Amino acid sequence: MGKNKTSKKRKPLRKPVKWPFWLFLMTIFQLVCMLQIYINGTQESNTTLFTVYGVYIAAEWIYFAVFGGFLRRKSFEVELIAFFLTGIGLTLTTSVYPDKTYTQLIAVLMGIGVFIVMLWILSDTKRVIKLRMPVAILAIAALVFTLIFGDEINGAKNWIVIGDGLLSVQPSEIVKIAFVFVGAATLEHLQSTRSLTKYILFAVGCVGLLFLMKDFGTALIFFFTFIIMAFLRSGDIKTIFLVCAGALLGGIGILTFKPYVAKRFESYRHIWEYASSSGYQQVRLLIYSVSGGLFGLGIGNGKLRSVYAATEDLAFGMVCEEFGIIIAFTVLLTFVALVVYSIRYASAARSTFYSIAALAASGLLLFQAALHVFGVTDLLPWTGVTLPFISRGGSSMMCCWGLVAFIKAIDVKTYKRYDKIART
Amino acid sequence: MKTMSRRAWVLYALVLAFLGGLCFLFYTFYTNADDWAMKKANRHLYTSGTLTTAGTITDETGAILAQTVDGKRTYNEDKTVRTATLHVVGDSEGYIATGVQTSYKDEITGYNFVDGIYDIKKYGKGNDLQLTINAELCATAYNALGKNKGTVGVYNYKTGELVCVVSKPSYDIQNKPTENINNDKTGAYEGVYLNRFFSGVYTPGSTFKIITAAAAIDNIPDISEKTYKCTGEYKVDGSSVKCMGKHGTVSFERALNVSCNSAFAQIALDVGAENMTKETTALGFNQSFSIGKIKLAKSKYDVTNASKLDLAWSGVGQYTNLVNPCHMLMIIGAIANGGTAVQPYLVEKITTQTGRVSYAAETTLMPQAMFSATTAKELQELLRSNVKNYYGDSKFRGLEMCGKTGTAEVSSEEGGDDPHAWFVGYSQREDFPYAIVVVVENGGGGSSVAIPVANKTMQKAAELYAD
Repeated sequence: MGKNKTSKKRKPLRKPVKWPFWLFLMTIFQLVCMLQIYINGTQESNTTLFTVYGVYIAAEWIYFAVFGGFLRRKSFEVELIAFFLTGIGLTLTTSVYPDKTYTQLIAVLMGIGVFIVMLWILSDTKRVIKLRMPVAILAIAALVFTLIFGDEINGAKNWIVIGDGLLSVQPSEIVKIAFVFVGAATLEHLQSTRSLTKYILFAVGCVGLLFLMKDFGTALIFFFTFIIMAFLRSGDIKTIFLVCAGALLGGIGILTFKPYVAKRFESYRHIWEYASSSGYQQVRLLIYSVSGGLFGLGIGNGKLRSVYAATEDLAFGMVCEEFGIIIAFTVLLTFVALVVYSIRYASAARSTFYSIAALAASGLLLFQAALHVFGVTDLLPWTGVTLPFISRGGSSMMCCWGLVAFIKAIDVKTYKRYDKIART
Repeated sequence: MKTMSRRAWVLYALVLAFLGGLCFLFYTFYTNADDWAMKKANRHLYTSGTLTTAGTITDETGAILAQTVDGKRTYNEDKTVRTATLHVVGDSEGYIATGVQTSYKDEITGYNFVDGIYDIKKYGKGNDLQLTINAELCATAYNALGKNKGTVGVYNYKTGELVCVVSKPSYDIQNKPTENINNDKTGAYEGVYLNRFFSGVYTPGSTFKIITAAAAIDNIPDISEKTYKCTGEYKVDGSSVKCMGKHGTVSFERALNVSCNSAFAQIALDVGAENMTKETTALGFNQSFSIGKIKLAKSKYDVTNASKLDLAWSGVGQYTNLVNPCHMLMIIGAIANGGTAVQPYLVEKITTQTGRVSYAAETTLMPQAMFSATTAKELQELLRSNVKNYYGDSKFRGLEMCGKTGTAEVSSEEGGDDPHAWFVGYSQREDFPYAIVVVVENGGGGSSVAIPVANKTMQKAAELYAD
């Protein structure tokens, strides 16, 4: 998809992109999902079912009508992917958690809101530079607050639960957006070593706080994103290797001196021996993933859904069993598409800020998807990170939509007026 | 901007690593799918540890051996048939590893990587398996073993169908005596989950003399003119190989008839360790065979560090020799079939949920000949002579049997004082090309114990199959 668009981009033709066609196909796909839930009766309330799909499909069409039809924007690959993935996630939640369906729908709509607001913020680099410091301070503050007042769920103290479980927020998810934002903005404006030092302090602070929360998966994602951004700015592969080696040594040190951390990974590569204890979820995931075959058993026909935290921790397996292995792997390939899209547009971006931000955001999403998929299938140690867009969760939904805004912003066609913000 | 896009290529490395990981993941899924889907934790296929969605298993006549009715696995209505076919059919918990319900799990549940378990859910059952065994014949053989442990196998040496496979001890799967099996102190349920025909190995005793005789025919040119002296034992290196009788001077043929240890100890020494090893290797000793998806236990012949005395003992089927009953049946089948065995098989056909035949067995020859045509011919005559001139055709009325008994001495660790009784043989009747192997554990003498079992089974088989 990205490739076609790139070759088209070079030609100054005003041919409209074929977004209506893809949107139409996607709508059909989502209606089929709805129909399956309706037939299987996994969502008890038909009103809820029709409302959720009605609102979601309407949101899609309104977005495309406004940006594609009214504002005459072009190239909608990024949104198509985001809407496609979100639709799958929404289907899983609607079918597995009938009572949490509206919450998820609201999170999705807020996510789209975050996306549009982010696009607006990113349209002006001056605004970005101005916001850099407050965002960094807020991000650190949020993490510190979580560390002190947060609640521990599944071994990681990364939740803020408000009003007796009424609303639970994962600040580290929102901070992902801030991390890319601050990183790209600082590196764009890098004139002195002082600002670099400040940024490194910020990054070390974030990763360190996540470590203290025992949220190793997210800490790893932050570290990876930092490495990507640092390399893009400096191009110094040697230093990057040194930092990685240092981190690796640190990791080994922690595993050696903090046995409880190592214990979290005791079942790695031995999940079948821990099939009824710490490997329980992963073993079920493998069994039910292959039970679905290439084409899946259909929404609501799976058995993985009854395993603990299936729509969050085991989202990949849920897609495999109910949607089929083909769709599950297609989902993973869309994350690759986002990275390739960012690379392709990097040279044409208005400034390094946009390139770094887009590459970091798409790299982050791909890395998180990799940790999720390979972790849960026991090819890598399992850190319990979610699958972007698919896993249920409000904070992560907003984070994902916020991150794709960086990818979207790399393309000059996203904004009508780009003369104002051309800097470099 | 240029540098940025150049550096961005680093992300391609990440993409490549990810795609590599995906390929590996897909490969892992593809290669392990059968195994994973069949795990007991799969609640699509199992209800509290029991495989409930498997297809129907029938015998060669179409009689139902196992089927799923309303999500529950049920077996043949006759208790003796259930008990006699237990090891071939297997259980749904997987205790009996060689049972088709375990070894043909994928087929019987109808799982495949492309459709997953979709068809199983749709039809509520898996593929149907038709076996080559005859339930009635198995019941006869099972009863013929009486109170003894052991195994009986019968197959058509022209086509390869295994029509009878029975292993004892057994139990009625519909009323499994779990308590008794778990707390068994008497040894009544010793190795109850083992199909002795496929997975057992026994000291062959005198049945091994068929093999020593074959080696003699191949390596000693004037063997049929040779005579041997038997004084009740044969002295080697200060010790001796004991014989069951004092046979005096015997010819090669007579030595096999009366199963003279003295003669065969000398023959083994004349043939030599190297040629004995060559002969047994050609027959498939120390190698593994499979019957479809079922792996056979390896037969063993190893005289690398054997003394002269050991070699002499190995020639009469003692020493460390071990033989798997199914392998022995293949060897006798090869003799009957003129030197090359027909590959035995157990699964006749597999029918999918939609009624399509996805697999139908065919008669195939083993890839390598076990005996040359002339050796096979001579062995046929010798084995016929055994029955005709020694055991007596009256023992197998009307069957024109050829064969050899064995009385295998077993050490006390191997389970008791009485020797294992063997019979291995075949009918040479054109209209009844069936071969049989019988092992009665600690049963006593081959001719007194194993022959009656073989006769009862073969008579029933003749009733079913002979024209």
